[in-house]
Amino acid sequence: MSSPISPACAHPEPALSRREVMAIGAAGLALAALPAPARAAAPPALTELIARITEGAVPERGRITFDIPQLVENGNSVDVAIQVESPMTDADHVRWIHIVAEKNPFPDVARFHLSPRSGRADIRATLRLATSQKVAAIAALSGGGYVIADADIVVTLSACIDGG
Amino acid sequence: MASFNARITMPAEAKAGEIVEVRVLVRHPMDRGGQVDAEGRVVPRKILNRLTVTYAGEPVFRYDMHTGVSANPFVSFTTRAVETGELTFEWREDGGATFTRTARLVVT
Repeated sequence: MSSPISPACAHPEPALSRREVMAIGAAGLALAALPAPARAAAPPALTELIARITEGAVPERGRITFDIPQLVENGNSVDVAIQVESPMTDADHVRWIHIVAEKNPFPDVARFHLSPRSGRADIRATLRLATSQKVAAIAALSGGGYVIADADIVVTLSACIDGG
Repeated sequence: MASFNARITMPAEAKAGEIVEVRVLVRHPMDRGGQVDAEGRVVPRKILNRLTVTYAGEPVFRYDMHTGVSANPFVSFTTRAVETGELTFEWREDGGATFTRTARLVVT
């Protein structure tokens, strides 16, 4: 399957190097005060992505736990764990869990398909995060509803910057 | 890929009805495309895009992977032990190659 190469990854925007970040830190400036770098092609907003995944339905908060480190040193491998409170019976189970990262070149990161035979809705996996962003896990329930949990993640080494 | 290295960790036996955790780690670069290698060539996208798991012939888990999944992808999931049989793991790679591994679960 051929795929377009992301402009965000092919031409990384000039970001602060680690050295610059260290220098700023040493100067005692708050990182949060830095202006966000301008992005040529803004990715679709997270709410739009979620609406596409849930086909317009508004997911509820709760019943889902999304464990992801708040501060990620290396975006190339980020451990996540997702649990959904569900009896996992034929009548009431989680159909799938979808992870979306709004600022990744391809925001759809992964989807896990479960069934009543799963016994529990309990998933762990390793992901890539291009940059600091909000990441969301959306679970589709057999009754037709959706639940969501999200987290703001700070990535110090982007998965998009690598020479090799 | 000449060799496909997958490590599947799960109990060898379980009681009927017990929920077993299955952990799967694969060695794969998950090339997302667009990087430049040492010779200056652009590396095309080549990732494992799907892992399908069947248990005694019945599908029990599927993992759709995109470029946001890390190299050497790890995943863990659970399944209810129902009968003695093979869990079959099939990975599909960009370009159509597939790789299959099995693990046996004895249910007492």
